Amino acid sequence: MAVAVAGRRRGGVRASEARAGVVFVLPYLVFFLVMQAGALLLAFWFSLHRYDLLALENPFRGLANYTRLPENEDFKIALSNTAYYAVVVTILQTAFALVMAVLLDARIRGRGFFRSTWYTPSIASTVVISMIFLWIYHPTGLLNSVLSLLGTPVQHNWLQDTRTALPALMGLNVWTTAPTFMIVFLAGLQDIPRSIYEAAEVDGAGPMRRFFSITIPLLRPIIFLVVALGIIGTFQVFDQISIMTQGGPLKSTLTVAYLIYQNVFRDEGQVGVACAMAFALGVIIYILTMLSRRYLDAKIDY
Amino acid sequence: MAQATLVRPAASDTTERVERLQTTFRYIMYVVVTVFLFTPFLMTVLSSFKTSAEVIAYPPTILPSEWHPENYVQVFIANPNFFRQVFNGLVVTLLLVGLNLFFCSLVAYAFARLEFPGRNVLFAIMLGTMVIPSWVTLVPKYVLIQNLGLINTFGALLVQSYITPFGIFLMAQFFRSVPRELEEAAIVDGLGWFGVFWKIVLPVARPALLALGILAFKDHWNSYFDWLIYMQTPEMFNIQLGLAAFRGVYQNQWDLIMAGSVIAILPILILYVLGQRYFVRGVATTGLK
Repeated sequence: MAVAVAGRRRGGVRASEARAGVVFVLPYLVFFLVMQAGALLLAFWFSLHRYDLLALENPFRGLANYTRLPENEDFKIALSNTAYYAVVVTILQTAFALVMAVLLDARIRGRGFFRSTWYTPSIASTVVISMIFLWIYHPTGLLNSVLSLLGTPVQHNWLQDTRTALPALMGLNVWTTAPTFMIVFLAGLQDIPRSIYEAAEVDGAGPMRRFFSITIPLLRPIIFLVVALGIIGTFQVFDQISIMTQGGPLKSTLTVAYLIYQNVFRDEGQVGVACAMAFALGVIIYILTMLSRRYLDAKIDY
Repeated sequence: MAQATLVRPAASDTTERVERLQTTFRYIMYVVVTVFLFTPFLMTVLSSFKTSAEVIAYPPTILPSEWHPENYVQVFIANPNFFRQVFNGLVVTLLLVGLNLFFCSLVAYAFARLEFPGRNVLFAIMLGTMVIPSWVTLVPKYVLIQNLGLINTFGALLVQSYITPFGIFLMAQFFRSVPRELEEAAIVDGLGWFGVFWKIVLPVARPALLALGILAFKDHWNSYFDWLIYMQTPEMFNIQLGLAAFRGVYQNQWDLIMAGSVIAILPILILYVLGQRYFVRGVATTGLK
């Protein structure tokens, strides 16, 4: 009898728990159905049409918006700029973040102070960072002033030269995001037991050997995470470009994200094409994330 | 025996010297990295007190030859909407932080603690959606918000950011680490599920709520893109978009651009100084942002 009552009560709790769970999760379910899944399907539908936000008729085009992408000169330029940008920034920010984290992962005085100061670039907005770097890259700005210290005066206009505009934006990006990923690496480093390093030291392994034989292999899952987040972020770079260069000079800083923006909000009637570009971008990001997972996150044997 | 005592001090002497060398090297690296990462901020603050000509003078100056604190008044005069834009940013940021804290923790509590059909699938889907570029869903969201009549209103920002998968993930990670006993006692006491969440779980979650609150404040205050897309008139901009628009018109007003930048970063900087361990914790537990 007592067991039966307890069983029924347990069942009642279960049912009420399930009901509460569904109700509590509703705010996300609505967000998911409208802002994520619904939006995704609608974007795909747009990508199959010659879609114009203002037009009354939007004829169906099938996959033409996709199949014509390889002939779209702007898209080709944007994609090659974006890929160049993403590869350089992802590699550099990951490397700098790792080195900075290793430097900070020591019992040393002033560690907290250095960690806080180093993280500062990551809390500033893209607009503020862009303002600062507009000045740094100005013909008489900070960068040229520092370079002039080396000898002859330099008055290069970094953002107006097709050869240096994109690398200048890469520099800005690495400068802001490396400190964020430094924190991620630092958390990973603290999970590596000290005893492994101590054992290696007893065996006569120097700092370099310990870094490449212990730190890097044990951090592989974190390195994958940082590389994946780097790919996802850099392939969508927009803010700095819209604020500092608007894709110029001569499309040398035109990225896929900025091209999508231009197609949606500047050139009427290009919404369908823009959606096709966005899907292409999504597929590229997905494939590269999976590839980096395959090479970085593979199981390692000891 | 005598030999051993002779050899030992010598050996520890060299290791000591190596260690001292390593420490020195470390500190040199610390200073180099600090200068590299911090100088731009320092120079921005100093530049905001210079005249426009001096900001880009060649050869450059470090300290202002004459201090011009009135730049901080000028920036509000040159851009009459500046005060309004600071206010807009603050209002929307605080609203969104409140909405994020409530909804993300409610949903995260359900994901982490309550058994309901489809829970694990939905959670997995949510993690998956974090990889979808925001560019894919941009146009449909814009069309939806346009049809709701929310273009150029704060509503446009609230309906699409009241909840974030990142926030849900962060809170769920935290709830999973909290022991269940407290809640079970409360359930037996007849406090409903919402009562358990509101009165028992949330108070325990304070550190996680602070971490999420601070990161959400940073993201929403720093937001540029959403305002660029959905806001059309300067009196509806936030300070980020306002500053970018101001620079678009007054390209050579370096003194005011710098003063505006300092104002735009100040709230975040204050928050960072006060709650930096929460910044770090949020980033470290999720690996995101």
